[in-house]
This record gives sequence, C-alpha cells and structure tokens, in this order.
Amino acid sequence: MFGKRKERGLREAGWGQTLFAGAIGLIYFFPVLWIIMTAFKTRTDALATPPKFIFTPTLDNFVSVFWRVSQQGNEAISTGFGLYFFNSVFVAASGVLLALIIGTLAAYGFSRYPLKGNDTYLFVILTTRMLPPIIVIIPIFLMFRLTGMSGSYYGVILLYAAFNLPFSIWMMKSFFDELSGDVEDAARLDGSSERGVFFRICLPQLKAGLAATAVFALILTWNEFLFALLLTGSDTRTVPVAMARTIGGELGVDWGLLAAIITLFLIPVFGVTYLLQNHLLRGVTFGTIKK
Amino acid sequence: MKHKLNILGALTAGIFATGLAVTATEVSAKDIVINMAGPDWGPTRFLQEKFNKTYKAKSGNNVKLVFDFIPWPNFYDRVAASLTSGEKKYQMVVSDSQWIGTFIEGGHFLKLNKYIDADPTLQAIMKDTHPAFVEAYATYPHKSKNYYGFPQFPDTKMTWFRKDLFCHAGEKAAFKAKFGGTLPCTYAEWKDTDWKTWASIGEFFRRNKGDKLGDGVAADDFYGIAYQAGKGLDFSSMQINAFIWQHGGSIWDEANEPKAQAVGVVNNAASVKGFQHYLDLLKWSPPVAKTGQMDIFVIQELIMQGKVAAIINWAGLAPPALDPKNSKHAKQIDFALTPGLRGKDGKISRWDNIGGQPFVLTTWNSDEVTMEALEIVKWWMSPEVQLDFAKNGGESGLMSVMARSDYNSIRPWNRAHVELLDWQKDVWHVPEFFEMLTQQQEEFDKAITGQKTAKQALDAIAKFQQDLLTEAGRIQ
Amino acid sequence: MNKPVTNVASASADLSRTPAASNNVTDNTITPAGGKSMRDFWQWMFSPERRGAMLVAPALIMLFLMNIFPLMWSFGLSFFHYKASSIRPPRFAGFYYYEKVLTDPVVWERLQTTAQIVALSVLLQMVIGFAMALMFEKKFPFRRELLMLVLTPMMLSFVAVGVFFKLFYEPTFGILSQGYAYFFGEPLTLLATKWGAIWAIVIADAWMWSPFVMLLVLAGLVSVPDYLYEAAAVDRASWWRRFKTVTFPYVRGLLLLALLFRTIETFKIFDVVYIITAGGPGTSTETIAVYVYKVAFQFFKTSQSSALSYILLFVVIVLTNLYLYFVNRRNEEI
Repeated sequence: MFGKRKERGLREAGWGQTLFAGAIGLIYFFPVLWIIMTAFKTRTDALATPPKFIFTPTLDNFVSVFWRVSQQGNEAISTGFGLYFFNSVFVAASGVLLALIIGTLAAYGFSRYPLKGNDTYLFVILTTRMLPPIIVIIPIFLMFRLTGMSGSYYGVILLYAAFNLPFSIWMMKSFFDELSGDVEDAARLDGSSERGVFFRICLPQLKAGLAATAVFALILTWNEFLFALLLTGSDTRTVPVAMARTIGGELGVDWGLLAAIITLFLIPVFGVTYLLQNHLLRGVTFGTIKK
Repeated sequence: MKHKLNILGALTAGIFATGLAVTATEVSAKDIVINMAGPDWGPTRFLQEKFNKTYKAKSGNNVKLVFDFIPWPNFYDRVAASLTSGEKKYQMVVSDSQWIGTFIEGGHFLKLNKYIDADPTLQAIMKDTHPAFVEAYATYPHKSKNYYGFPQFPDTKMTWFRKDLFCHAGEKAAFKAKFGGTLPCTYAEWKDTDWKTWASIGEFFRRNKGDKLGDGVAADDFYGIAYQAGKGLDFSSMQINAFIWQHGGSIWDEANEPKAQAVGVVNNAASVKGFQHYLDLLKWSPPVAKTGQMDIFVIQELIMQGKVAAIINWAGLAPPALDPKNSKHAKQIDFALTPGLRGKDGKISRWDNIGGQPFVLTTWNSDEVTMEALEIVKWWMSPEVQLDFAKNGGESGLMSVMARSDYNSIRPWNRAHVELLDWQKDVWHVPEFFEMLTQQQEEFDKAITGQKTAKQALDAIAKFQQDLLTEAGRIQ
Repeated sequence: MNKPVTNVASASADLSRTPAASNNVTDNTITPAGGKSMRDFWQWMFSPERRGAMLVAPALIMLFLMNIFPLMWSFGLSFFHYKASSIRPPRFAGFYYYEKVLTDPVVWERLQTTAQIVALSVLLQMVIGFAMALMFEKKFPFRRELLMLVLTPMMLSFVAVGVFFKLFYEPTFGILSQGYAYFFGEPLTLLATKWGAIWAIVIADAWMWSPFVMLLVLAGLVSVPDYLYEAAAVDRASWWRRFKTVTFPYVRGLLLLALLFRTIETFKIFDVVYIITAGGPGTSTETIAVYVYKVAFQFFKTSQSSALSYILLFVVIVLTNLYLYFVNRRNEEI
C-alpha cells in the first residue's frame, strides 16, 4: 500500500501481526482517544475520579465550539469559530501551496543548474529553521507595520510560505536529484523546450514527492501558534490561537470545549494525511534511498 | 541589482493589488472605530455586548467599539508585541495593573490629567473610584498624581467555601470538640477567622477515601484548604505578598524610589516569617501543592469538583463555580472574607494583593478619537452600566455604586469584595516588574517544592532586585 | 546500484552532484543589464546562463524578506543597547551583550537542561520510532489504518499535547496519577522534582515525535530488496545477523537523518515545557528557548536576547557541521 513498487518487497504477516500492532497502536493512540472521548463528556465526567471510560455522551461541547451564551444569558452568540476554521484552512493551504510552487522551482534550479556556492545557499536556507522563531518576531512585526501587512491574510500567508520554504526546497531537491537526467536530455534532443522538460517530463514523475512535501508542510503549518498569535487580527485569527481561549479565562481549562476543538481541527489534517498516505512514506525519506 | 529590485517591486505591487488587507481604523467625521485590546472572558465580553446594545455617542458620530478578544494565556504577549512594535492598532487597551509602568515609560499609554481637569464628569468619576483602584490602576509613578486608567474589572481574592460542610451541625460539633473554636459558617464567623483557624480547618477536613464527610462519605481523598502556589505568571506571589504584608514585612517600595532598598527589606525577618507561614499551611493542601503547579485554575477546579473544603481565590473566577455545568457543588459554594493574621490586640490584619484590570487610552490617536474614547469611559463608569455589570458577573469600581443597599446581595461574593477593598495593595508597576516577578516566582517555587528555605529564597530575591533596580537607576 | 546509498550525506553532501543538463552556470553574480531596450533586458535575463539564478530567485527573495532580513536586523540590534519597550534610541554597545551572555551562568544552566531533555527525548524517539517501524514493516490486514493511529500525535498542536499531558500528570485528576495511586497507594507528584518534571516533558515530546522517526525508518525498511532476505534465509542467518547485515545498513542513513532533524527541532522545545512545568520546579526544567522567550518578550532585553540567539545559532551550525562531517567520513570509510 505504499506504492506498487515497494509493496512487492513487503512480507505477509497475517492477522497475528494485526492484533499485535493493534494493541500497541491503541496504547499509543490512547492519549488522543482520551482527548476525543473528553470532547463528548461533561466537565464533571471529564474530571471524574476514578476516570470514566463509560459515560453518556453529550454534543454540548461541539455546540459550544460554534455558539456561546451571551453574558446576560439570553442569547446565543457566534464564537466565530467557523471563520477561524476557514482562516486556518485558507492560510495553511495558501502558504503550503506558495511554498510548494516557489520551493519546487528553486529545487529544480538547485538540482539542475547549480549556482556557484550552491551548497552554501542550501545550508543557509536550512539554518533559517534553526533559531527559536521568537527572535525574529520584533523585526517582522515592524516590517508588517511598515508594509501594512499586519492583520491581513497575505502577511501570514507569505510568512508561512517562507516558513515552509527551507523544508520544501530540501525535499524537492532530493527528488529532482533522484530523477534520471537521461529522459530529460532525450526530450531536449527531440526539441522540447526547457519549460516543456520541466512541466511535461519532470513534474509528472514527481507527483508523489509533491504530495509528500505538501503533507509534511501542512502538518507543520496547521498547528503554528506564535506567528499566528502575533500577526493575525481578529478577522484573520486561526484556530490554534482561538483555541487558547479555552485554557484560561474565568474558567481554567474548558476540557470538553478544548477537546472538541482539537477533535474538529484534527479531521482535515488527518483526512489529507490518510488520502496521501501512499506518498507520505516515499516523501519522508528525502529521496535518500536510491534504486 | 536593478532587476532584483524590479522583482521586489512587482511582488509588493502584487501584494497590494490583491487587496486583502483589513483596514484597522478608518476615521472620518462620522464614523469612528475604537479598537480595544482585551482578554477573552466574561467581563470584557459584557462590555462589548452592552456597548453594542445601548451605546449612542452624544457627539452624533457613529462610534463603534471593536474588541480584539485575545486569549488570556497570551494576552500580554500579543499586546506587548503590538505596543512595542509601534503597530498603533489599538486606541484603548485593557491592561493588567502591573504593566502600566512599562507602557507609560514606553510612551504608549496616554496621561489623562489634562482631560480630567477639563471635564467635571471625569473628575467626579475619579473621585468616586475607590482609592485602592485609583492607586493600583491609574497612577504612575505609583501613588503620584499622574492618572492613566480606569477600572475595567476590579478584582479581589476571597474565601470560597462549601456551605454544606462548614454549616453542617455534626462537623461543627466535631470541630469544636477537636480544636475548641468555631468552624466558621456565617459571614460574621468567617470575619473572625484567622490563619490559625484556617490551619485547623485544613487538618480537620483532611479525610481519606471512604471517611465520613458531611452527610455522606468522601468519594476520594479530601483536603481542607488550598490557595494559589503555582509557578506560572503571578500564581504564588499574589498570595505570598498577603502573608508578607500581614506579618509586617514588605516588598520593594516603588513609591519611595530611589531611596527604598530591596536588600534588608524584601528579606527582613518579618517577610521571612510571613513566607514561612504561607509555606507551613501548604501541607494541608491537595498533593498538587507539592509540584508547585497549584495555580488559580487548579484550586478553582479542586473546589468545583469537590476535592477541597475551602480555597482562597479571585472573585473573577467565581461565576463558573456557581454554574452547575462546570461545578459539582454549584449550590453549596459560598463566599466570605479571607482569613488574616490576628495581632496582639486581637484584630485581624487582612492585607492582600489587588487584582483586576484597568483600561487605558493610547497616545497615537487624534483628539477626536480620544474624546470619543473618553465618552466610552464615562459611559462605562456611569452608575447604571456599572450596576448592570455587577449583576452580570462583574464588579464595580465606584464607591457610590458599591454603597447601594442592594449591591451586596447582587452576587454572593460582593459583600466580602467590598469589605476587603480597604485591605488591598499592589505589586510594583515599574517597567522592570516582569523580571522581578519572574525571578520571584522561581525562587518562591523553589521554596514551595522544598529546594530552598524561606530565608534562602527571599535572600536571593532581595539580592536580585537590588542589583536589577540599581542598574536601572531606581535604587541609589 | 545494489549497495544501499542511504546516507544522510545525500541530504547535504550530495549537493555537489553534477547537473543532468550541461548548462553549468559558473557565475551566479548578477550584473546589471547592459541592454538598450526592454526586450534586450528580458532576453538577457532569461538567457540559459541565468536560468539557475532565475529559478532560485523567488525563493531567495522570499527567504531574504521573511527570514534573513529580520535575522540581520536583530543581529544588528545585538550590538546596541536597545529595549523594544523603551523610547530611548539605541546606543552602540559593541560586544557588551555577547560578553554578558557568554559569562552568564544562567545561560549555561539552561543549555545543560536543554541538553538533558534533548538527549533523553531524542533517544526515546529513536527507540520507539524504530520499534514501531519494525512492527509496521510487514504487510498485514488493516496495516494502513493502524499506521494512521500511530501517526496522529504528530498532527496535534503543542497546546493540545501540553495541556492534556499536564492533566494526565495532575495528582488528583490525572489518569496517570490515579493509575499510580491504584497500585502504590499514594498519588504521583511527578512534577515535584527536577527529574520527574524532565521525564514528564520528555514523555510528552517523545510521544508526539516518535512517529516522525518511525516514518523515516519505515521508509528504509520497506526498501530492503526481497532477494537479500531470501539470501539470508538460504544462509540460515540468525535474526540478529540478518538485522545487522541486511536491515540495518538500509536504515542507518535514515536513522542518522532522523537524529539530525529531531535534535535540531527538540533543541527549540518551548510550548510543551512552558505549558507542562513553566520551567519549574524552580528553574530546573527551563530550556534555552523558554529563556530566550523570557528575555526577549517579557523583559524586553532585546539586544541581549539577540546576542544570545546568535550564539545559539552559531552553536547549532557548528554542531550540525560536525555531525555532517562525521557522517560523511564514516560513509567514505564503508
């Protein structure tokens, strides 16, 4: 199931292995399961001692994700979660897409037309990921103010794109490195333009790589907190920031509500990962395995 | 380099052409938008809701108040980043009282004396605001005559206790038999409760799983008392300061800058005694106290889930305790004065650390916007709005409102809140406060988790503050 | 190539690979256009010699704007007396802050704590990741679904992991503590001691990121050609020998890559620490990232935090290079 090419090599282990892996997997998954269960519990059940495994599920927490009661207690007011959810999807998708486009072009360049000091460029690109991000926050903040990007979508999108670039470039470059140059040369001899070589010869072979890079970039972007906290406004706020309101206000942690948000917020990234699972394995190797 | 710049230009042009920007403030003659940074919780949400429903600007302008609700845990980070970067996004800010010095010295918060002098309504409001709030929320330097803020949500700590246990005839009798005193139940009995009784309560209500408790049996290990002892933010200092002050110790006195010293004051014998007293009482608290993570939310949870008989916590966190959705004992939790230290004269000292938040104006607004913001202040501080706020989970800062005969009965904690106001002081407001607070929290935590003695911790705090404040030119 | 070339080096040293196309650009410095007309300029710009530079330019510009420029800005600040919260203009300070940071015992303490957490957590991630990869190496029913179960922790936010693990550790309400109390009679106060608190952080972090290691290793395992196993079977090689001679060479490079990536990332550990222990008890679990955050954002010692960050960056770069150097040398030896 990890691409036909590799599937051949896998040995069959049968149901015994399913049981074993299932047991280990469930233990490993237990904290997540507990969070999902908490999403369906009342507060008292969530904090019950001894812990409750069997309980009457409630959907109240999921309702509270979207609606809250007004302070005077007589109206339901939207929490804006729908908007935050949209923001998260929009910002993450755009940021990842942008990083993928720019990163793939750059990776192609680095792989096929190395510059003088190619290695240095690549290393410098990697180092931008090594520092605690807090350190660049103040200059970025000032910059955003000067350009009027603060609180806007494109500010965060550009930032996320930049945030994902090092990773995308490194990963995509290793995929390009792996492609055989012979086919490209043959295409050139046939009179194909450089653009044609890139779009018609290289890219189709890299679908798996692109998918894998996208999934990894998405996982890293989806939960980004610090930049989102500081650079989004009330209209462009993303879910991870909005989520923080459930961990300290007039009530410490609102366990059920937090768990419900986590659960809902897990669905898209889980779904995308599941759909692209075939490519994921291929992607994470960074092309370090060669045939 | 030319074409590199071209690309840059094209990129920027493209960004602006996309036009996704959300314009923050558009000031015209008619439409005025006031952006206000506030923590995301009841007291600020009430302000927004009430404003949307009832506010009409007297000037005839179309004034809109737009709250940027920021989650509490990250409120400071977000506001600080906005202010210090010069983003100039907010016209008004709900500020924690300790921050004001930082942002006044940074030139972000607007001095209001000029406006107050020109406006009799504002003068009346300042006069009517409880002196504890004026001191903690409005003045900088501390206790000076420079005014900056108004109470948005004034807060104090009080005792939360389980009526069903403290007023239980059997428990009362058992307590009397064991300790000789009265197990406090009524307001008057709590008023006469000192730390000694508090310790006895801790010992008395320490029950194991299955022991008799009130009318039933303890479903789990049960504890008598708890107050904040958390490493994060100010989650131990706020309680420890109370003990230090009650024992006659003190913190560095910013009002006496630059004469006031830290070494010899912060770690004097009385302060050490006060801190030690605080530490001694932790042994009657639930096991989380040993980890130094017993913050204000943990103790709130402990009483709401029925693990502890009495706690000392902010009034601001009280509404959920009365909500059956959150609290197992919504019907049984009641509120009273905090215990204090009984002096030789038999009188109880209840010095405590004030909480709550003022709201302030920022410096970069046009006069028109400032005037409209002050109109909002006047509206918020008007008696009707303040009373309505108190009815919906808030507290008033106005003495005239608190003096109303029905005020005490609006919420079960109001009576204690009003009475405790005369006992409130505040920590420092100087820009160095965060360093002082953080280092102090670390040292306190070392003592709470048994790595240091009270004396060692306070010595380290005093030395740190002395060095820091000397370097900053606040101690000579 | 039959010999597995799963070296980490290909993530770095392989950069020198000769391009498939022969348009080897030797000069990437971009000289101003000499053309008279716009058309000449475009032709000059898109000429084959400049293709590499043109392809890379958008990425470099973006990284420059969003990363390198802010980094240089704060690099500049590290030589000035400057507080972001103050209206006082910056004054030149020279190496004052570098000296201050390097002689500050607190910094060394925080680095030590960070090293302890990184060592334990990365080790645990490698072990768990490897073990789980072995489990998923073979084909069995529902493999794909079970793999998803194991991958999920990685998709959670730090806030989610931090807050819920803190609840698991909470002595009264925590499920872990209650389980402990069930067997040992008294509640578990894990966060009360330095090492307890470090383990609390390590467990949460390792749980979250072991799947990452697993994916890397698994990719290596599934790429072992069948005939090697068949040959091993014919030779009646023991399990251990088969593992050592057939399996391990295929995953070694990936393991090292995982080690590099996870070490860099764990070095920055912040949210989980901040939420679970807030650095306590005392300061015994405060990592360097938490410390930088405090200095930069709560104390507004902007210059000092910048200087500190640059020293950290230097350390990380040196360590990374050392690491790559050793890996490459070993690869050459083999």
